Amino acid sequence: MPHQQRLVETLVELADTLVAEYDVIDFMQTLAERSVELVDVSAAGIMLADGAGRLHHAACSSEQMRLVELFELQVEQGPCFDAFREERAVRSDTPDDAARRWPEFAPQAREGGFAAVTAVPLRLRQDGVGALNLFSTADGALDDEDLQIAQALADIATIGILQARLIRDQNVLTNQLETALSSRVGIEQAKGVVAERNTIDVDEAFVLIRRFARNTNRLLSETATGIVDGSLTDQFLAETGSDTPAS
Amino acid sequence: MANPHAPDPERVARVTSAFTANADGSEHSLCASSADVAAVDGAGVVLILHGRALGTVCSSNAIVEAVEEVQYSLGEGPCLEAFATRAPVLIPDLAARDVVRWPGFRDGALAIGVRAAFGFPILVGSVCIGALSLYQRQSGPLNDEQFADALAVAHVTGRTVLDWQSIAGDGSLARQLEHLPANRAVVHQATGKISVQTSESVDDALALLRAYAFSSNRPINDVAADVVRGALLFGARPPR
Repeated sequence: MPHQQRLVETLVELADTLVAEYDVIDFMQTLAERSVELVDVSAAGIMLADGAGRLHHAACSSEQMRLVELFELQVEQGPCFDAFREERAVRSDTPDDAARRWPEFAPQAREGGFAAVTAVPLRLRQDGVGALNLFSTADGALDDEDLQIAQALADIATIGILQARLIRDQNVLTNQLETALSSRVGIEQAKGVVAERNTIDVDEAFVLIRRFARNTNRLLSETATGIVDGSLTDQFLAETGSDTPAS
Repeated sequence: MANPHAPDPERVARVTSAFTANADGSEHSLCASSADVAAVDGAGVVLILHGRALGTVCSSNAIVEAVEEVQYSLGEGPCLEAFATRAPVLIPDLAARDVVRWPGFRDGALAIGVRAAFGFPILVGSVCIGALSLYQRQSGPLNDEQFADALAVAHVTGRTVLDWQSIAGDGSLARQLEHLPANRAVVHQATGKISVQTSESVDDALALLRAYAFSSNRPINDVAADVVRGALLFGARPPR
């Protein structure tokens, strides 16, 4: 049974990361290490699902654990998979029990020195995010009280991951907007610059800009930026100078 | 960094439902819903990225459209300030003696018949992508309900704009926003020309254009059109 104090400290530590900007991998690592301290297990590991629903190794508390988890991923069989797919906690008390349920995975776990395994899902309502593996070298998976604590840790982890993903997706979209809108502004400005320099109208200017972009193998937006900020002025004049119609 | 003006989730859920019920996928329904939910005479949504006002996404009526035109033309007003300060900007009476900010916007808005103006930053996560303007024909503050609803409306508006962009995908611009660059193309072309005529940056050129539009009391697009067709020159042309 964990000390109340240590449990509270861990929950606060994890909750803090939800507020500040943080590194998801570091967060996962912390969670794995704290899990081992707080419940009666020897090692902990976290697997996260990608967009296609395939599990990947995210973090774990020991090298031994990592090898077993990587094997679990290779054979696509084991407690993590069951917890993730079935959306519920999974417990196996002995190596014999594990061998019955996961014939390919079990020998590898035994090889790693693990006798009992527990896995809890990382999920929030409809979103299944992954699973938390908790392995023990002694027989006997987590008791009910420790299982509750493990699920609470998993729940906090899930919120943290979903929050980080939401922010990342929002940033991606905001950048798309900014790029799309700014590039249009830049292109119109560049038309004005070239039109003025060459005493032509903006449509003719656009023809020159596009030709230059093609000939120098540049993006239109990049070309426009260079014309407006002056970095491409000389090159542009050199390339297009002879094309300007007499005014 | 927690947002001190974060709207409460229940209210956001309620506002989202109201928006969804009225949504027709266009930007027009966005502003109509905004004005409706906040219970104000008019609402407008402006996109501002990297400090540059990119244009009006929508205006719920012609009066709002006219006021947003003033705001864009002058480069000052509640939207831009809400964006800059990332906080609501509340002017319950534009005619009050203590309203010293944005004299140009104030006079323009009053002339159009708007008496109260409120700007709310549109925040997605910690990034501000623009602002929501709410206008009233009569003076008076927003009550607590309206204020809380406005925060939720700004939030939902931000999410809606990002949803539109997510449908368009990378490399494309959301179709509901296509009119933004088109509407001001002539302004940007003009700033390009002015920057060469005056040997200034395009940002300074825009300031010159705005100042001229204000002093000649003409719409900025009209002045820009004159610049683009060569009828209006700023400073001397550089020698060829």
